[in-house]
Amino acid sequence: MSNQDIQLLAHLMRRAGFGATREELAERSRDGYEATVSRLLDTSNPVSMSEHLIRRFHPDESSMLLGSSGIDAWLYRMTTTNAPLLEKMGLFWHGIFATGYAKVINAKPLSDQIRMFKRYAMGSFRTLLLELSKDPAMIIWLDNQQNHKGAINENFGRELLELFSMGVGNFTENDVKECARAFTGWTIGNREYMELRSSRDSDWPYGRISWHFEYRPEDHDDGEKEFLGQTGNFNGEDIVDIICRQPATARFISRHLYHFFVADEPPVPQWPYQPPRDPEAIETLSQSYFDSNYDIRSMLRTLFNSDFFKSQSCWHEKVKSPAELVTGVLRLTEDFERPRYETVAKRLRMEFMGQRLSNPPSVEGYDGGLTWIDTGALVERMNFASEELGNTMTPGSQALIRRLAADNGGTVTPERLVDVCLDHLGALSVQEETRSRLVEYAAEGGDIQMDGHTLGEKARQSVAGVVQLIAATPEFQRA
Amino acid sequence: MSASNLQEQTQFLKYSRTVGMTTMRGRGFYYPVDSAMARDGRIYVVNRSSERAPADTVRVTMLNMDGEYFGVFGAGGDGDGEFLWPSGIALDGDGRVYVSDEHLHRITVFTASGDFVFSWGAHGSGEGELDSPSGLAFDLDDNILVSDARNHRVQRFTKNGVFLSAFGGAGSGEGELDMPWGLTTNADGDVFVADWGNDRVQRFSSKGRFISQYGGSGRGDGQFLKPASVAVDTKGYVYVADWGNERVQVLDADGRFMQQLRGEATHSKWAEDFLGINVEEADARARANLEPDIEFFNDDPHEQSSHIEKLFWGPSSVILDPQGRLYVTETHRHRLQVYQRVD
Repeated sequence: MSNQDIQLLAHLMRRAGFGATREELAERSRDGYEATVSRLLDTSNPVSMSEHLIRRFHPDESSMLLGSSGIDAWLYRMTTTNAPLLEKMGLFWHGIFATGYAKVINAKPLSDQIRMFKRYAMGSFRTLLLELSKDPAMIIWLDNQQNHKGAINENFGRELLELFSMGVGNFTENDVKECARAFTGWTIGNREYMELRSSRDSDWPYGRISWHFEYRPEDHDDGEKEFLGQTGNFNGEDIVDIICRQPATARFISRHLYHFFVADEPPVPQWPYQPPRDPEAIETLSQSYFDSNYDIRSMLRTLFNSDFFKSQSCWHEKVKSPAELVTGVLRLTEDFERPRYETVAKRLRMEFMGQRLSNPPSVEGYDGGLTWIDTGALVERMNFASEELGNTMTPGSQALIRRLAADNGGTVTPERLVDVCLDHLGALSVQEETRSRLVEYAAEGGDIQMDGHTLGEKARQSVAGVVQLIAATPEFQRA
Repeated sequence: MSASNLQEQTQFLKYSRTVGMTTMRGRGFYYPVDSAMARDGRIYVVNRSSERAPADTVRVTMLNMDGEYFGVFGAGGDGDGEFLWPSGIALDGDGRVYVSDEHLHRITVFTASGDFVFSWGAHGSGEGELDSPSGLAFDLDDNILVSDARNHRVQRFTKNGVFLSAFGGAGSGEGELDMPWGLTTNADGDVFVADWGNDRVQRFSSKGRFISQYGGSGRGDGQFLKPASVAVDTKGYVYVADWGNERVQVLDADGRFMQQLRGEATHSKWAEDFLGINVEEADARARANLEPDIEFFNDDPHEQSSHIEKLFWGPSSVILDPQGRLYVTETHRHRLQVYQRVD
């Protein structure tokens, strides 16, 4: 496989995963690009650090008395999974169907919601939307437990249309009301007790109790409704069916997929007024949506195999979210094979960079894109990546050292040091000026001599220094 | 299997009471992982807490089965008398309290009233070194047995931490171990080890020679999923905290299945105290259906337990008192459920 092909594969792994080590790229390159896409899309047997192992050492990540408990378990899974696209899709749907601890005040239903996203992430959009409508955390987040026959609460109905499926401009205020009527009676079990516990942040007497969906037919308005031009005694399932048939839904989901995997679109509120940057791509994805009967996996296959995705013009154009950056860095260290006390501190770094998973700033999720980069967040991002990757004792660094020592009698020139480090960190291609600066830095230490696989202090400083500088480059900080 | 048809049992043990409740500090538990009982009936419950919680939530709570509270000792940290990942607890013949720490790889010793005495242990895989020590038990000579989890072995030390012997080793064959957790000894000095990663309990002689094994992977009678703890009574009955299946199983002296317990917690004295003060919450609770009939994905017992409060959730430790009562420590429900013999 040519270097260009390897770099295309690296692009795929940055977007469909969290990046890849050079060894992983070499292994995947044997299959070729399309086969790699197929492997990424095959999530039938995802393997990551076992639930039992996480629960044994971090009991709080199991029953979740505290708000952030589920996020650490998610970080373990993102970092250790062999199905990175599935975890990315968890992030993708979480970004759209954003639900937060600030209102839910029970971490277990939020964690259950993320598991649900991953279970249905790449199947039928209809199924996913239906499961979302029954999701206890979403019901509380958007007040559907207060949506009663004869006294509707429009919050869920409105966001289902505006943020979750079609977007502004494709429905009327009457559609919102009728949609809300259709979802009356869709609530959670033991609503009164569970709401009271949440309002008091109560975990007494015996810890949190998970939530479950409950349909109350006596509270459901089964009268005739007119929704998106159709009339009937619609219930929630019927509404989801009608939504999924809309071209606007196909375009909306397509634009989200493009935004997440290909290139930044403007914020969602601007979509009604600003056309997509690549209308043809949106049309292609929309066609895939209908051709496949709303199958997200098919849309992803179309996307990853498309020219608009492969185009070099979009490489390194997307700023990694803190979750993507932290996960990608930890995967490169290959130092996450067992639960560790320090994991919480690593997750906190993600929050210092501005992203608190399962606690987005609003119902619209995370702004993303360049908003991840402000002065403080950028320093935090650079520091984190540099600290983790500059540790020459991790298995990932040790693999790099073995590569450096593998030829030329252990003598490593500044140019070779830079090129091997760039390659090791995921076949990273940087601008020539960036490479020159890195070589200049490496040249300050001159050639380094590897003695077997051990490093003298001078060599260690050179290797760590170059890796740390690479971690701070725009190319590394972007996907 | 739905939660409503879980309890078809041979009556060997019957439910007695629930002890404790959730509190971050003081009178209560916060992710309790193991318990030990003194001759006077005082129960020591070690609370692991969470890395996210304040240091004073990590502690040992002292109480008795009637809910009488005797205070707490210990705290989060790496100083003297502190823990970061406390895991196992056991009492020696003099009533001193030993607590293992899976992160600091050491054993800390306290007096019966909770004053720090000393600690010992070094991280590593060599003889006498520890890597995630978890379950603790004392042998007939009052030497301490340590489940050295990540070294996949059991090590025996004097009470002062002088290495005496070891057995086990990584693997799934007879006498080999995979991340052992709880362990105990019987009246003959035989050692029973919850061989967590191998889904079985193994029995060794007092010298560490393999004798027999019970269980095997699964959800059926007599099968285990990641067993965490084991207790043996004077008649040889074996009680296993079948942690991954969220249940307790009782085996006879020959390892034959006798009974499974799934949990039937009621309000403890401390829970009653809380609900007596928080009337609005008590009223809403009284109106709620805390045993809802829900279909669970893959019949996952962990999920069942997360929804149905009376069921065991995270049964991480089983201990017996001299009357043969069984105390089940539930990490995720922050309480003990007590069972007693029917006969």
